[in-house]
Amino acid sequence: MQALRLEDVRFRYPGMSGWALDIPSLGIGQGEFVTVLGPNGAGKTTLSFLANGLIPKSIKGESEGSVEVFEHKASEYSVAQLSTLVGMVFQEPESQLFCMSAEEEVAFGPENLAVPRDEIARRVEWALGLVGLKGMNGRSPSTLSGGQKQRLAIAAALSMKPSMLVLDEPAYALDPVGRIELYTILSDLKTNHGMTVVVMERDAEALAKFSDRFVVLVGGRITASGPPAAVLRDPRFLKEAGVSPPQLSEVASMISARRKGPPLGFLTVEEAVAEIMVNAPRHTRMVSR
Amino acid sequence: MTGLLDLYSEKGSFLHRLDPRVKLLAVLLLSVLAFMLSELLPLVLLLAFILLLLALSKSSFGKAFFALKFVVRLMVLITLLWPLFDRSGTPVLFSIGPLDITEPAIWRGVTSAVRIGCFATVWYILMFTTQQRDLVRALVKLGLRFDYGLALSISFRFIPTFGLTIESIKDAQRARALELDKGSFIRRSKNYVSVLVPAVVSALRTADTLALTLQSRAYGAFRDRTYLREIRMRPSDYVALAVAVLALLLPALAKYVYGVPL
Repeated sequence: MQALRLEDVRFRYPGMSGWALDIPSLGIGQGEFVTVLGPNGAGKTTLSFLANGLIPKSIKGESEGSVEVFEHKASEYSVAQLSTLVGMVFQEPESQLFCMSAEEEVAFGPENLAVPRDEIARRVEWALGLVGLKGMNGRSPSTLSGGQKQRLAIAAALSMKPSMLVLDEPAYALDPVGRIELYTILSDLKTNHGMTVVVMERDAEALAKFSDRFVVLVGGRITASGPPAAVLRDPRFLKEAGVSPPQLSEVASMISARRKGPPLGFLTVEEAVAEIMVNAPRHTRMVSR
Repeated sequence: MTGLLDLYSEKGSFLHRLDPRVKLLAVLLLSVLAFMLSELLPLVLLLAFILLLLALSKSSFGKAFFALKFVVRLMVLITLLWPLFDRSGTPVLFSIGPLDITEPAIWRGVTSAVRIGCFATVWYILMFTTQQRDLVRALVKLGLRFDYGLALSISFRFIPTFGLTIESIKDAQRARALELDKGSFIRRSKNYVSVLVPAVVSALRTADTLALTLQSRAYGAFRDRTYLREIRMRPSDYVALAVAVLALLLPALAKYVYGVPL
């Protein structure tokens, strides 16, 4: 089953001349971890709003095509109904946490869905545990660190038991440690709970090892889609897309350009050593410098 | 900043454990009582009772001092100003120009000051011992629409956030050589425009994300939502409620039915 399926989808914000998003076809499989890369204004946020029904339910504009979420037509459901399929996490940690305690934050969704009280209590414990905030029930969200805030926002989405999480630049305000923590939790949700994860980000380097697939979005169009290593093989292309390519893949393409043979595509130091030792022993000195 | 906004302190007094609805009602009843009593002695007794409750709330001396400072100032002001405007009665004690200061007016001033003191202090008990979220929960439980309760708790939640935003905008503008505290009043007011505009823009953006977040968390999905934490009346809550009701009822009976001068 496809978690998210877009066919001939176009969306234009009121008063804008071009399409904010123009996707002939995009499918995201159930249980897949997909990272959508793209610069500011590429349409990442628009895509995430389409996935949970905020477009066109709440954000108006000119829209065409069909969006299906787990084989349900998104247009036929309210945002509240879709929230049990798609959990949404926004960029700003501060403005998406509005309760006085972590527990209330996580309970808010199920409370709205009229879930029985003891079930809410179970979900709160479960969701806080999954994001590594066990025992922080009473903490005020404003006293948490940036990374903890984003993890709390994830827990607040998880408590509605969605099958897919869509995160719009969740690591925007986080330090490198916080980012890796966040991605690790997402990866764990995918591996251990079968969660479909769609992350809109610019951080190609860190996400390469967590993602099954990279989708590159430029000017509202998909310009590349495939396994991270394949997409990152051409760093020049990523640069045009406003995405900073991993330094190692830049090194790989520099080496590839200067020598004959198949292009190199390593993303980690281990891969680099392995590929270079096999393919071109004389380059090892250059890389180790 | 937070001291002003959140007087609550985490202490385990019996007042903390009371149902917030009971506290709210008790405070309302005691406020009505303060306005019902017109004699000085009962009012002083009421103030003493309220101060005793405040002491029992185990709130820190610093917070209590901070809060009561305003009340005492107000009481002094009322005592001093009252006789200047209320010149009825005899004997006239002394005159300041055309103003006759009379003895009954002075007593009325003191009485009013004590009454206002009771009224202000009793609400502090509620603030000292009740978390904002419990207060909102109590209001919703008492029939306030959940939307309004949510709006109220969101405003409580975001006031400190906006305080911090304004501070950082001020710092940013100072770093660009804006002198916020120099010049005439008009000059300073004009300078503050460059703080207020980004602050309002930032507030609107936050509100925008917040609206999307609320929808994404199924806000308004059902008319009857459930609640993780319910507030429930315990026997001690009924006792406290009865005491509060009697505290108003008995003096009211005495005053209006039996004509006891209170």
